[in-house]
Amino acid sequence: MKNAIIAAVAASALLGSSGAEAQQRTKFEYWYGLTGQLGEILEQHCKRFNNSQQKFEAVCIGQGGYDKAEQNTIAAYRSKQQPTVIQIYDAGTVNFMLSGAIYPANQFAKDFSIDIDWTNYFPGIANYYATSKGEMWSFPYNSSTALLYWNKDAWAKIGKTKAPETIEEWFDDLRKMKTAGVECGFGFDYDTWMPLEQFSAIHNLPIATKANGYGGLDAELVFNKTKFADYMKDWKKLLDEGVARIQTAQVGKTILQSFTDGTCASVLSSVANHGVVGSTAKPGLNWGVAMLPVYKDFKRHNSLVGGASLWIMQGKSPQEYEGAAALMKFLSTPEEALWYSTANGYIPVTKTGFDYMNKNGFYQDPKHAGRELAITSLTFTPPTENSRGIRLGNFTQIRAEIRSELEAAFTGKKDMQVALDEAVARSNQILRRFEQTFKGKTLP
Amino acid sequence: MIERTPILDAVTHALMLLGLVLAALPIVVVFVASTHDLATVNRVPMPLWPGDHMAENYARVWDKSRFGEKMLNSLIVATGVTVGKITIAALSAFSIVYFRYRLRMVFFWLIFITLMLPLEVRIVPTYAVAADALQPFRVIAGGFGLELGIPQINLLNSYAGLILPLVATATGTFLYRQFFLTVPDELAEAAKMDGAGPMRFFIDVLIPLSRANMAALATIMFVYAWNQYLWPLLITTDQKMATATMQLQKLVPGPLFGQPPLWNEAMAATLMVMAPPLLVVVFMQGWFVKGLVASDK
Amino acid sequence: MEKRAAFSDLRLAGALIAPQLLLVFVFFYWPAAQAVYWAFTTQPPFGGSNEWVGFQNFEQIFTDRVYWNSVGISFLFAGLSTALSVGMALLFALFVDRRLTGYRVHRFIYFWPYAVAAPAVGLAFRFIFAPEAGFVSAVNQWVPGLWNPALDGKDALALIVLANSWKMMAYNFIFFLAALQSIPRPLIEAAAMDGAGVLRRARDIQFPLLAPTFFFLLVINVTESFVDSFGIVDITTGGGPARATDLMVYKIYSDGFKGLDYSMAAAQSIVLMGVVIVLTFIQFRYVERRVHYS
Repeated sequence: MKNAIIAAVAASALLGSSGAEAQQRTKFEYWYGLTGQLGEILEQHCKRFNNSQQKFEAVCIGQGGYDKAEQNTIAAYRSKQQPTVIQIYDAGTVNFMLSGAIYPANQFAKDFSIDIDWTNYFPGIANYYATSKGEMWSFPYNSSTALLYWNKDAWAKIGKTKAPETIEEWFDDLRKMKTAGVECGFGFDYDTWMPLEQFSAIHNLPIATKANGYGGLDAELVFNKTKFADYMKDWKKLLDEGVARIQTAQVGKTILQSFTDGTCASVLSSVANHGVVGSTAKPGLNWGVAMLPVYKDFKRHNSLVGGASLWIMQGKSPQEYEGAAALMKFLSTPEEALWYSTANGYIPVTKTGFDYMNKNGFYQDPKHAGRELAITSLTFTPPTENSRGIRLGNFTQIRAEIRSELEAAFTGKKDMQVALDEAVARSNQILRRFEQTFKGKTLP
Repeated sequence: MIERTPILDAVTHALMLLGLVLAALPIVVVFVASTHDLATVNRVPMPLWPGDHMAENYARVWDKSRFGEKMLNSLIVATGVTVGKITIAALSAFSIVYFRYRLRMVFFWLIFITLMLPLEVRIVPTYAVAADALQPFRVIAGGFGLELGIPQINLLNSYAGLILPLVATATGTFLYRQFFLTVPDELAEAAKMDGAGPMRFFIDVLIPLSRANMAALATIMFVYAWNQYLWPLLITTDQKMATATMQLQKLVPGPLFGQPPLWNEAMAATLMVMAPPLLVVVFMQGWFVKGLVASDK
Repeated sequence: MEKRAAFSDLRLAGALIAPQLLLVFVFFYWPAAQAVYWAFTTQPPFGGSNEWVGFQNFEQIFTDRVYWNSVGISFLFAGLSTALSVGMALLFALFVDRRLTGYRVHRFIYFWPYAVAAPAVGLAFRFIFAPEAGFVSAVNQWVPGLWNPALDGKDALALIVLANSWKMMAYNFIFFLAALQSIPRPLIEAAAMDGAGVLRRARDIQFPLLAPTFFFLLVINVTESFVDSFGIVDITTGGGPARATDLMVYKIYSDGFKGLDYSMAAAQSIVLMGVVIVLTFIQFRYVERRVHYS
């Protein structure tokens, strides 16, 4: 009897102490940039990780935007207060690669025994975040690509049931729609991702020399001399004809809002917004997605990945790294890919993730209709020099410059070609300054 | 109003009414937007009368953003800044106005110039200092070859870090200086003749005279500190230290990423964040106006 | 400006001003000094290596057409915004001071806008003035294309001037009102009995006595419009369209923060600070001279 009591006391003491240990989770910080609805979904994903195990706790903190996430991380790093994991968007890739402040993903996976099959990532995605030698330095997380969102009812008005495949066909449809009474065929803003970056990729056109910057810091921009210039001039024509409209937050409605309330019949946007469109579309809106149209004479190539990836920062403790490793393992499972892509429009980044989702009937569900087109678009061809990605320094600034010049051209203040030439000149200045700042360094 | 001027009165009334509309309209819009559901508020144009989702929106935003915690943080910060500012500014202005020493105009300008370089612009080095508040002294000592073992005081994620940089600016000192300059010299002379020391004069004469002035400054400072969003956003990474206005920024993604914000929730949050400063203004109104009025001498 | 009566305990004087000086040193001058140093270097975003380049950054900004555009817009904005907010505030303060029925309500509502945070102000104004979504869109139905701050730079500038003035008007109003109410009533009544009408009294009595307040508000408003206007631009126009509202302070933020070029931002900040210091100095020298403190 006494032994039983002793045993019982000992057992409860043990249980008690291990219970207390379980409360001591190792915390590590995970800073992310998404906001609004997409940000809320990321928070939920974070909670899922915390609920799935007892050892670690990811402290997920939204930074209020991708650009703020980048800025805040840099400020924190300079004061040695950086987080362990950060979500940085595509445009920030070069800055982080050259920073010397990160723990390259492939090395991290090796050091912390995360079993990752790097070839499992879709090449279009992997290449964007990999060095010139093909080593991936960050973990792709929320990836997307651009699609054409089209209003089926508007197209029905001109007797068509399929989305246009070529740009010529698309513009033709828009003009026909105008005569058929559609107020706005195409809503656009000055974001460069769709018209410049994606356009150049799928048409296999360079944006800059040196393989869009992969080959060195001395790249120069060339987009004012490619078909892109014609594309922009065509948009201006549509604008002047009243067939297309500028839709920005300043105007009062973003392109998505103009699409979801039925004003504009087509917009170019990220597949990530597929879920948002679904939930905010006005009732009865009959819409779908299609791959981006291509000019007739060009062979279609793969589109670029957008979104963000997760980077590991240097200078943290081994325990925090263990936690981060656990998080990466968790996020890379097919089940989590399914959960995440169900909650929002981001696409699975691995082939196994995609297969898993397919097997589970994800893409057969009418709610998700069309999302597989994103994968098709991303994997249409193996990436070429021009469709591998963009590796230009200070790309955020460059995007802002191009946006400014496009705005001037579209609002009639400048001729389009002049605007593009100036955009190239100013952007090249930015590149040279970046090069000077990193004198003597080479891109990994 | 001494004589009768009916026409002028009518015109005055009309213009004042217009002013009322101008002042109140934006806030009315915010309120109306916060009472609709997402689809309605995204409609163009938004209906002008209130919807019936008010309680639902506010409750949801309060819970989702954990507003209770954040409002408390904002309250602590705003109060801290207010109290700190009133005290420090009064002391500094007193020193500048009532003491004669060669450096006093230099000091005044040193303090005054801080108005001209906003926080936004020096935010990265200020952040570095907040992470290591005694860094300047360590570097300077190092420059003289002294290794003083100065500790690292980390103000990030702390109330001190949120409050101190905001207390450092010059509005209060400027205001007090202007006010002290209008206080008649006779009062100070009388105090001196009575054998009262400077601090006695300060506490017994100047402070009571400045009471209403302080109310004015207090209101302005409270509102200013409550409405800060960029600095708190940078200096707090721990959600428990976040302030209410920070939360507002989170609910409205910038215009460049094409994601439509949840307008009805954002407007509800706006109103909730606006409420405390508004209440302070209402409450302090009486003193406030009196305070800027130089008291009858 | 000199006080006849002054105390002579200099150690006390030092102790009184020490706290503020200390705070100002640590949180302002030290970071500002670093910013000055950065203005003469280039550095990578993550820090680590500051390379001295002398005046290169300054040369680059002074030869940049876009920078001069920014300077011009900033001056225009400061002028318009200050004139509007100070002028309107004075007007409303004069009206409210007349103590007509309901003046207390007016007094409260006019001050309201100041309590609203910059993001909220920007948002509300964006809503109201959006050409396709706001209430002002009605104007576009009569005369299409009349109002469009997204496409017309002048409209965008008007929008931020209005938003900024709305907020500052509240601030100025309360100061003017207080100053008006501190004018002893006997003075006004005496003038009235001498036959001076409302307007005459305003000109001869109220305005001169308002001078110190006017000066104070002028300095504050001009400084604020150069230095504090970032929040409103960020939320409403983002510096556009086509840089029509690219204020200097906004440009600093977008070049430095978004562009991660801290050196360039530092150089621009130095210039901005210089501009504001010069303007304030001018105001102190030439305007304060004419102000009489009672």
